[in-house]
Amino acid sequence: MAHFHYAVVLLFVAICAIGVNVGFRLRITHLWRVFLATDAAILLIYTAWDIWAVENHNWRFDSAQILGLRIFAGLPIEEILFFVIVPLMTVLTYLALSKLTKKYGKAQP
Amino acid sequence: MIYSDIAMDAVLLAVLADLFVLRTQMVTRGIFWLTYGLILPFQLLTNWWLTSKNIVMYSATEIIGRRLAGAPIEDLLFGFSMILATLSLWEFFLALNRRTSKK
Repeated sequence: MAHFHYAVVLLFVAICAIGVNVGFRLRITHLWRVFLATDAAILLIYTAWDIWAVENHNWRFDSAQILGLRIFAGLPIEEILFFVIVPLMTVLTYLALSKLTKKYGKAQP
Repeated sequence: MIYSDIAMDAVLLAVLADLFVLRTQMVTRGIFWLTYGLILPFQLLTNWWLTSKNIVMYSATEIIGRRLAGAPIEDLLFGFSMILATLSLWEFFLALNRRTSKK
């Protein structure tokens, strides 16, 4: 089961994301184009950094604790998913907090 | 300590993009810092998981050596840059989407 050690943390964040999206009725699915554009840029920048860093031995992954799927430039699939799931969670957290502060706090500028 | 250098550059570039390229001014908004403050403990939690189990291992020569929740301190800079870039791009494309759908 060690192969799932990295994937399980992504699953945890993904479950949080779905929970926040449903719980706060954020309906991010209606804005999928905006998220796609945002994440395309993030993926481009951060996977480029990641690929470079791995090639230059800045960091490495334990092959016993990842799924072993390397779909792009030798990066573990978990890294690609990380740069999708984490930005998604970031946007959802932002939307949820914006909604909360509008509801309970002072009016937003 | 190349990771330290790139991580600092990433923060600088994200701030410059936010202020002068995308002009989203996220760093001047309270809601951005509130969002960052909520995400930070979760970043530390995932960092701790990934580093304490040695899922991700860092080369000792490329980091300063100070660690927080198991991960190199540089990870805070990386995380901040990605959160700022994500929200800045989100606001930028959201405004673009509103403008184009009005026409």
